[in-house]
Amino acid sequence: MSAQEKYQSLLELANQNGTTYELSEGDNGTLVVTGTAPSAEAKQQLWDEYNRLDPDFKSGDLILNLSTGDAGDGGVHMYTVESGDNLTKIGKKYGIEWKAIWDHNRDILNDPDKIYPGQELKIPM
Amino acid sequence: MKIKILTFISIAAMLFLAACGKSDADLTKAVNDKLKADGVAGITATVKDGVATLTGEAADVTVKNKAEASAKAVDGVKSVVNSATLKPLPTATPAAADPALTGKITEDLKKAGCTGASVTVINGKVTVTGEVPSAKYATCIQTIQQSGITGIDNQLKKGS
Repeated sequence: MSAQEKYQSLLELANQNGTTYELSEGDNGTLVVTGTAPSAEAKQQLWDEYNRLDPDFKSGDLILNLSTGDAGDGGVHMYTVESGDNLTKIGKKYGIEWKAIWDHNRDILNDPDKIYPGQELKIPM
Repeated sequence: MKIKILTFISIAAMLFLAACGKSDADLTKAVNDKLKADGVAGITATVKDGVATLTGEAADVTVKNKAEASAKAVDGVKSVVNSATLKPLPTATPAAADPALTGKITEDLKKAGCTGASVTVINGKVTVTGEVPSAKYATCIQTIQQSGITGIDNQLKKGS
């Protein structure tokens, strides 16, 4: 049985509750569902169905990547500065140069050597 | 006597035709019209002896199921053979390079309170290990799956 057939009730539910999605195939036949749910409730319904079909999400044959329509982070990842951090150290966590982070945060940073715990930095993806 | 037999045969023939109802050609048209009306694309039906056979390529499994339900709903269709195939899916691409995904997931997990979980990403496929509180488990898995990965090996344990 293909992953699409295994999770068909989840996809039917998505059609019913107004979630739009696209399907693609990931690692070794993994079904990748990328979509937007109209509300947090609709998204939760789909996760509940996922848990019912695949208890504790253990099989690894589905990636359910849903956002809700009102999530407004625009795809930018935010990193919260911790004490002891510097841009080089943060960059290493993402495999990028410190300068890339500096370039994306010039609006809030005045000096690349001065960042403070709790500050939210935009990380380019 | 001959007349009686003829009468019998003609009555039987009339009954038979009435039971048959619409011809296969009529039914084929009716089913295809119904598919179109229900917004099912890429699938066509052929009816023979009241059995509707669906062929073509469905965008996904829900379209294939819908086609079958539509065909069954047509009056005169006795059964449906669903031979429609599923359109091959495009290959998923990871949202970012492996180190960037690792960093993003690690930070997002921390924010979600999933500090016991750790991840490694290879070619967009994440392996998650460790243990998180039972109440946090689903949130942690959601966080990982929403990061733009293309595969998952879930070894995360539920703690107390």
